[in-house]
Amino acid sequence: MHIPDGFISPKMYLPLYAVAAGCWAWAIRRLRRTLDERTIPWLAVLAALSFILMMVTIPLPGGSSVHATGICLLAVVFGVWPAFLAISLVLLIQALLFGTGGITSLPLNALAMGLVGGAIAAGVFRTLKGWNETAALAAAAWLSVMVPAFLVALALGLQPLIASAEDGTPLFFPFGVEVTLPALLLPHALLGVGEGLLTVLVYRLVRDLRREGGAA
Amino acid sequence: MSDRLMLLTYLAGVLLATSLHDLRVLGAGLLLTAALCGRALPRVLRRAVLAILLFNSVVTVSYVALSLWQGTFSPRYVLLVNLRVLLLATMTFLLAERFNPFRAFAFSPSLLFLTSLCYSQVLTLRRLFGEFRHAFRSRSIVRPGLRDLYRHGAATAAFFMRKSVSDAGEIARAMTSRGFFND
Repeated sequence: MHIPDGFISPKMYLPLYAVAAGCWAWAIRRLRRTLDERTIPWLAVLAALSFILMMVTIPLPGGSSVHATGICLLAVVFGVWPAFLAISLVLLIQALLFGTGGITSLPLNALAMGLVGGAIAAGVFRTLKGWNETAALAAAAWLSVMVPAFLVALALGLQPLIASAEDGTPLFFPFGVEVTLPALLLPHALLGVGEGLLTVLVYRLVRDLRREGGAA
Repeated sequence: MSDRLMLLTYLAGVLLATSLHDLRVLGAGLLLTAALCGRALPRVLRRAVLAILLFNSVVTVSYVALSLWQGTFSPRYVLLVNLRVLLLATMTFLLAERFNPFRAFAFSPSLLFLTSLCYSQVLTLRRLFGEFRHAFRSRSIVRPGLRDLYRHGAATAAFFMRKSVSDAGEIARAMTSRGFFND
């Protein structure tokens, strides 16, 4: 879901920056309340972890692969707000220092993936884990991919409506929701299955290592 | 130009490039950015083109096909979107080439520490991640199957999760022992 700069209108990214700024301030306040002097190292390391989790590849049948998002793992293991801040920080570093993603799509990606995706994942896991932990984790991971994909598709699909020339020619992303929703949701449904599988495997490994007295 | 001013100029440039829709203005912006690149122009341009190539090709080809079919094709749109995206990507890679975030964020010790810690952790973990990948490849005699790839991915992610928790504790203790939180 790395959208380059130039496809989202300022009519959308500027208000999204305002919303994201409020959420970042709230998240930092919450994190400071619980972590104090450990906040800075914790956040820096969590952001670096998020960066690495996004590098882990999810193999797909047929030899191709896609990159994991790690949203569900971060939100379930470390909490929604730390996950949101870590993902936002990674998106900023990727946009400014590595040139991937974009500064104009940053608030959309941060809110959709980091906040909504993380909150959905943590909520679904918490609700369903009493019934079946593995199924809860797989469902949480699948939704943590699908819901942000839906939001990004919606945001892209709204561009021709909010930013077009007088003759109706689009100025940013050219396709409406009738194109963006299936174009993003269908491949992400498959990616979500892989993400769910990987999340379950990682979660079990971390839990088993904890039980054996590992460092984590 | 100071790093903070450079960042502010870049942000203003992004806002302008996304607010103006005149092809001549965007073209002039691209020429100006290219001139600012100096000798780094071939490298910056190559990185920018590579970064946008896949997404822009998919959007452009899909747009051309769909709009021709619907009878709404506008060559101006194809030029506008590709010119704007190339300008923004070139500006971003020029910034990445010249910008030092540590000097730009030096006005706030917390922000400076957060940026430098995060960046150094990213570089360290990225190197380690690459080594994991090479180790896996070098130890696989035959092409690994889907199950092996998932198990390798999961083991790698689990290792980095444990390492991150342990590193965060160590860094916090190191910062405390050096008096970072005493002010």
